Amino acid sequence: MSSQSHGEHSSHPTLKQYVIIAIILFAITIVEFFIIWPYNRIGAAATPVLIILSCIKFAIVIFYYMHLKFDRRLLTWIFLAGLALGLVVSLALMTLFSSVYATPAPRPYAAANAVPYVHGEEGHEVASESGHQEPVHVSEKATHTEGESTGSVGEPASSGAVDLGMEVFTSGGCGACHTIEDVAVGMVGPDLTYIGSEAASRKPGMSAEDYIRESIKNPEAFIAEGVERAMPGLMTSAVTSNLTDEQVDGLVAFLLEQK
Amino acid sequence: MAHAETAQHTEEEYTSTGINHRKLLMWVFLSSDCLFFGSLIATYMVYRGQSLVGPYPIDIIDIPITTISTFVLLCSSFAMVRALAATNANNQKGIQIWLLITAVLGAIFIGFQVYEFNLFRSEGLYIYTNLFGTTFFTLTGFHGAHVTLGIVWLVGLFFVARKGRLGPKTALDVEIAGLYWHFVDIVWIVIFTLLYLIGGFDAGPTAVIGPVPSMVPLV
Repeated sequence: MSSQSHGEHSSHPTLKQYVIIAIILFAITIVEFFIIWPYNRIGAAATPVLIILSCIKFAIVIFYYMHLKFDRRLLTWIFLAGLALGLVVSLALMTLFSSVYATPAPRPYAAANAVPYVHGEEGHEVASESGHQEPVHVSEKATHTEGESTGSVGEPASSGAVDLGMEVFTSGGCGACHTIEDVAVGMVGPDLTYIGSEAASRKPGMSAEDYIRESIKNPEAFIAEGVERAMPGLMTSAVTSNLTDEQVDGLVAFLLEQK
Repeated sequence: MAHAETAQHTEEEYTSTGINHRKLLMWVFLSSDCLFFGSLIATYMVYRGQSLVGPYPIDIIDIPITTISTFVLLCSSFAMVRALAATNANNQKGIQIWLLITAVLGAIFIGFQVYEFNLFRSEGLYIYTNLFGTTFFTLTGFHGAHVTLGIVWLVGLFFVARKGRLGPKTALDVEIAGLYWHFVDIVWIVIFTLLYLIGGFDAGPTAVIGPVPSMVPLV
């Protein structure tokens, strides 16, 4: 017994080694931070990198700080057994009920019922009921272009309105059903990748802008030829009734750009 | 009984594996705690991006602040290592100081968490607001509870140390507390990566940026 504990102690890392280990742990954390900051810079590619880095930190702590490396092998097995079980259970759950690393799959019901978050407001239900509030980050952008985008018809849309429309499209739920190349892939509703050039010829006697606006505010007014609706009644005016006029203008401007 | 005989033969503290029974128990407990946190993390991941209403992670998760609190927890782990080293070296002053530093750093971490929870609450994220709130608060809350228990343990050890009862012969008392403390640290390493670095940019259920592998079968 005593010889064993003696052996343990002599093989423990020295203070200097512990300091080095701490520095390594700090360094990895800093690297992790700058991989994703200021905005998730390398996107989906960051996920495996971050997972590997955290596994390295995990291993360093259990083998050195918790000195499994210098302890009886049995303890390592006991811990790894629990860890492996936990991992397998977690992965099984994730495989069953969600995609682990991919972006969550679109769900039409969720898409149709999602309520945008109103920054700084207590209780988002206010937003869904009145339908007149809008997220602050959206309105901030919109104020720059208010005069141009909300007023005149036919004028070229400013990039501010297009940005706003892009934001509404991606965070408002349109992408769950509609496809726009490089923006979103939804397999439920019509493809909108070329809507900017197609819209003008969709409905006789209606300009592209008016057609898109009508399709947003009153989707059931006109169903384009060749558009097979996966689920009749899914895209209704209820879906878009929460949008403010400004947001609709933005969406129209954004969709007109899709040529 | 045969039991009593063997007990007299071997030192009472040791199991038939030759490992002290308290240490063995701690490792078995930590092993089972992996399952506990594993299921909470899996629950978070399964419901990731499925909230119907905001606030969503991207609206409120503050990564820089959490990086700082992660640093604090890492520092506390290092202080814990120093506390054990001081115990083995029978450095009475060192034991007390490092135990106290570890506990204080843990308390600072909890302070960050209290701040964060309050911030989230003021932004409208409650445990019942959406799936994100439910799974987030449950997971990080249980982790916070573990840290809190660790702080109580460390403060207790600090008072034992003040009476001069910690030293090379009782180093196991510090070592086991250290095992628990480091475990809480590694759980945070995983939470920080999955909930903040990776999941911190999640928006609502509908913000599907980029291609999605398969379509959802409709009714």
